[in-house]
Amino acid sequence: MSEYSTDEYNVCGVLVHAHNNKVDQVKKLLELQEGVEVHAVTENGRLIVTVENNKRKTVGDRIMGFYEVPGVLSAAMIYQYSDNDLDVEELETKNINSSELETSKERMSA
Amino acid sequence: MSQQSKMSRRDFVKTNAIAATATAAGITIPGIKETLAASSEVSNDNIRWDKAPCRFCGTGCSVLVGTQKGKIVATQGDPDAPVNKGLNCIKGYFLSKIMYGKDRLTKPLLRKTNGKYDKEGEFAEVSWDEAFDIMAVKWKEAMKNDMAANVGKPADQLTSTVGMFGSGQWTIFEGYAASKLMKAGFRSNHIDPNARHCMASAVGGFMRAFGSDEPMGCYDDLEHADAFVLWGSNMAEMHPILWTRITDTRLTKPGCEVHVLSTFEHRCFDLGDNNMVFTPQTDLAILNYIANYIVQNKAYDENFINKHTNFKKTPTDIGYGLRPEHELEKKKTGTGGKLSSITFEEYAKSIEEYTLDYAHEISGVPKENLLRLAKLYADPTKKITSLWTMGFNQHTRGVWANGLIYNVHLLTGKISQPGNGPFSLTGQPSACGTAREVGTFSHRLPADYVVKKKSHRDLAEKIWELPEGTIPGKPGYHAVLQNRMLKDSKLNVYWVMCNNNVQAAANLNEETMPGYRNPDNFIVTSDPYPTVTAMASDLILPTSMWTEKEGAYGNAERRTQFWRQQVNAPGDSKSDLWQLMEFSKRFKVEDVWPADLIAKSPQYKGKTLFNVLFENGFVNQFKKKTVTDSRGNEYANDEMEAFGFYPQKGLFEEYRRFQQEGPKKGHEQAPFDTYHKVRGLRWPVVDGKETLWRYAEGYDPYVKKGEGIRFYGNKDGRANIITAPYEAAAESPDKEYDLWLSTGRVLEHWHSGTMTRRVPELYRAFPDAVVFMHPDDAKKRGLRRGMAAKIISRRGEVECMVETRGRNRPPVGLVFVPWFDAGRLINKVTLDATDPLSKETDYKKCAIKIEKVS
Repeated sequence: MSEYSTDEYNVCGVLVHAHNNKVDQVKKLLELQEGVEVHAVTENGRLIVTVENNKRKTVGDRIMGFYEVPGVLSAAMIYQYSDNDLDVEELETKNINSSELETSKERMSA
Repeated sequence: MSQQSKMSRRDFVKTNAIAATATAAGITIPGIKETLAASSEVSNDNIRWDKAPCRFCGTGCSVLVGTQKGKIVATQGDPDAPVNKGLNCIKGYFLSKIMYGKDRLTKPLLRKTNGKYDKEGEFAEVSWDEAFDIMAVKWKEAMKNDMAANVGKPADQLTSTVGMFGSGQWTIFEGYAASKLMKAGFRSNHIDPNARHCMASAVGGFMRAFGSDEPMGCYDDLEHADAFVLWGSNMAEMHPILWTRITDTRLTKPGCEVHVLSTFEHRCFDLGDNNMVFTPQTDLAILNYIANYIVQNKAYDENFINKHTNFKKTPTDIGYGLRPEHELEKKKTGTGGKLSSITFEEYAKSIEEYTLDYAHEISGVPKENLLRLAKLYADPTKKITSLWTMGFNQHTRGVWANGLIYNVHLLTGKISQPGNGPFSLTGQPSACGTAREVGTFSHRLPADYVVKKKSHRDLAEKIWELPEGTIPGKPGYHAVLQNRMLKDSKLNVYWVMCNNNVQAAANLNEETMPGYRNPDNFIVTSDPYPTVTAMASDLILPTSMWTEKEGAYGNAERRTQFWRQQVNAPGDSKSDLWQLMEFSKRFKVEDVWPADLIAKSPQYKGKTLFNVLFENGFVNQFKKKTVTDSRGNEYANDEMEAFGFYPQKGLFEEYRRFQQEGPKKGHEQAPFDTYHKVRGLRWPVVDGKETLWRYAEGYDPYVKKGEGIRFYGNKDGRANIITAPYEAAAESPDKEYDLWLSTGRVLEHWHSGTMTRRVPELYRAFPDAVVFMHPDDAKKRGLRRGMAAKIISRRGEVECMVETRGRNRPPVGLVFVPWFDAGRLINKVTLDATDPLSKETDYKKCAIKIEKVS
C-alpha cells in the first residue's frame, strides 16, 4: 500500500466533544500527537482541532485514533483538503475469504 | 507550483479548516477571517462539487462530492445540509474511496463448464446478452410452471417460484421499478428487502399503533429535548453525526440528561448520566415497569389518553418464527397479532406485576437506575426523545418492544411535539425512502398499501393500467422464508440486488447455503464487488453504485434527498435500474401472463413487459434532456441515454400518484425537479411545505385547527396503547451453551463491510472481527486478550481473537461479535428465530459456548 509522499499535504478540521471536566486532559493528549493542533476550546467542551498528515500516518488514521483518547465523546470531520487528491491510494484489501465459503459448502454436503 | 506558493496554499487551507470547524462549533477565532481574506488569491483547483446523500447509514448526511477528471477525489460534510450541518463521520470522510476497490467487478460472470452454464462450474466472463439470455430461459421456465399451477385460481391464491431479494440501499426509483416488475410483471409477491432484517419490527410497531409507518418527529428533536433515552442503540458508533448533535445538546443545555440501556457497555456510556446494562430480552419488562410506574403514580396525561388513544391487547405466546416443525413452534399457544379492545383499568391490571422489584430482579439493573428512568418519563416538565435501532427491532418480540415504548410516550402525551417523541433510527440510507415506502416488502404496495386488500390492488392496477387481477393477493415469502423456500425448492429463480444476504441472514449453514447451492435453483446477484453472496450465486451482474447513477434516498426523519450522476461506472457495470428495465424487455406478456388475463387487456397482446410497465405512456413521458445544476455544470444520466427518456423522473412521478390518488393521506412528496434543488424535504410535503412533526396541529397540514393532535393514520384518529408482556427469548444460555451472543456493527465498518473493508484506512483500523468478552469469562476458559477462540452454537462455529478491553465491555455471561468480516462469518452461529409478527430476525440473542483454539 502506498503511503503519502512527503510532498503531499492533507489537512482536516475536526470538531471534538469532551466532558467539561476532561477538556484539559483531552486537549493535552490530542496535542501530544504529531500533526494535531487544538486551536480553540469552548466552555462547553468543544475543541477546534486540525489534523495534518505526515509520512507515517494519514489524516484518517489519526482521526480514528481520537476515539481511543480517554474523555473524547465524539469527533466529527468538517473540512478536508488534500493537495494531491488525484493520487488516490491503490486500494489493497484482502479479497473475500473464499475458504470460508468452501467450509460452508463442505459442511452443507456433509 | 513553487515552494513558496505551495506553503501559502497550505496555510490557506489550514486556516480554512480552522474557520470551518469553528463555525460548526458556533464560535469565532480572532484574526481568522483576515488571514483567510489575505490568502484568498490562492484559488481552488478544478474540482466540481455537487451534493449527494451519504451511501452508508440511515442518518442521511449530505456530502459534497468532489469530482475531477471523471473520478470522485474527495467528499466533505455539506455545510448547507440541515442533517449534518457540515459534519462528516469517519466513514463519510472516506466515501470517495468506496468505488475504487481493485477487485471491482466489470463484466457479468456466469458459472460454466466447457463453455456452458453449469451450477457446479467456474465463473467465466460473459456479455450482458448472454447473461440475460440464460436468466430469461430460467425465469420463463419457472413462470411456465407457475402458470400451470395457477390455472383457475383467483388472485389471492396465486403461487410463484420467482423471487427477488432487494435493498434499503436501492434508490427510490430502483425499488419502485423492482416492485412493479415483480408484483405486476412476474406476478410474484416474493420480493422482500434486506430492510426486513433491520426495520420490519419498527414498521409493525408503527402500523399497529398509528396506522402509518415512520416517525412522527425529526432530527430537530435532538436540540429540543431535555433528555435522551437510548434503548438498544449504540449511536456513538452507528449514528455518529446524530450522536455529535446529542452530545452537543447534553453539554450545552442545563439539566439535559442522557440515559443509556444496553446488554453491554459501549461508547454511549461515556456520555450517559444513567447507564443500565440489562439481561437480554428484559427490555420488555423494563418498559412495562415504566408504564406501570406512570399508572400507579397517576403521572399519565388523562386528557391526552381520553382524547387520542385506545387501549388494546395482543395475542401472547406466539412462537419464534422458526420452521413449523421446530419444538418451540409446536409448543406455542397463540398466533398472530390481532388486536382486541380493553379498558384503561384492564390495561393497568395487565402491567401491575411489573413492579420495581420484579423489573430489577429480571433485568439485573439496580433499582435506583430504574427508578430514575421511570421518574424521568413521569416528569411532566421534561421533554424526552427515546431512540432505538436494532436493540428493539432485531428482537423476537420486536413489534411489541416498539409498541411498549409508544405506550410510555402516549400515556404521558409526550409525542409529536418538538423534543418529545419516540424515534426509530434506521440503519440503511433508504430503508425508509425505498424499502418501506415504495412497496418492496412481500406484503406491500407503494405508499403503505398492501397486497392483501383488494381495494389496494385495484388502486395499483388502475395507476399501472393493468388488467384486474394481475397483482397476486397473497403476501409473498419474507426474507427468512425465502431462504427456507430456496432450500425446499419452492423458490427456483432468485435475483439478489444491492445486498449481501449470504453474510447477513442467520443460520448460514442450515438454511442459506443449501438454498443457494440447491441444484433446482438459479441464483443471480447484482453487486459492484465479489461479495460472499455473489460468490455463492450462479450468475453475477456488475453493478454501478452510488454516484455512478442518478439516485434518491429517504432517511429516518422522512427526508427525501436526490443526487445526480457524478461519474461513469467502470467497465460494463450497469445500475440496478437499467438491469431491471432492460431485463423486462426479454418477456412478452404471453410468457408471463395467462390468456384469460391478457384477454382483459387485448392492447397488451404481443407487447413486452418493458412496453407495459415502463414504456406505458406515463413513465416514458419525460423526454431525454441534459441534466444540469444551477451553476451550469452538466451531468450524465446513463439510464436516460439507454432508454431515450428520463426513467428516474417518470418512475418517481408515477409513484407520487399513489400518494395522491389513493384514500391514504399524509405521504405526499414534492415534484421530482424540486428535490434536485433542495437539501431534502420531509414528507408529507403539502403546498411545497415539509412537515417536521406529524399528527400535531400547527406542524402537520392534515391536523385541523382545534384538534391539537390527530393520529389520522387510524380511522378514528386515535393511537393504540397495546399491552404485551415479557416473554423469554427463543434461545437462552444453558449448561452447555452458557453465553449470550449479540452481534452488530462497529464504527469503522458498515454492515457486511463490502465497501468499508475496501477503504485501506478503515480496513487497517478494524481489520478482523473479534469477540468482545468480559475478562473473567475469558479467564474461565483459559483465554486472554489476543488469543484465538472458537465461538460455537448448535448451528455452526467460527474463530475470532479475544478482546477484553476497548470500546465494548460486555458483562459476565454475554459476548459481542461484529458481522462485517467476510473471513469470520458469525451468521454460521446465529439463530434464524424471528418476531412472528414482523418476521425480523433476532440477531442480538442466541446461546453459544466459547472454547480455546488448541
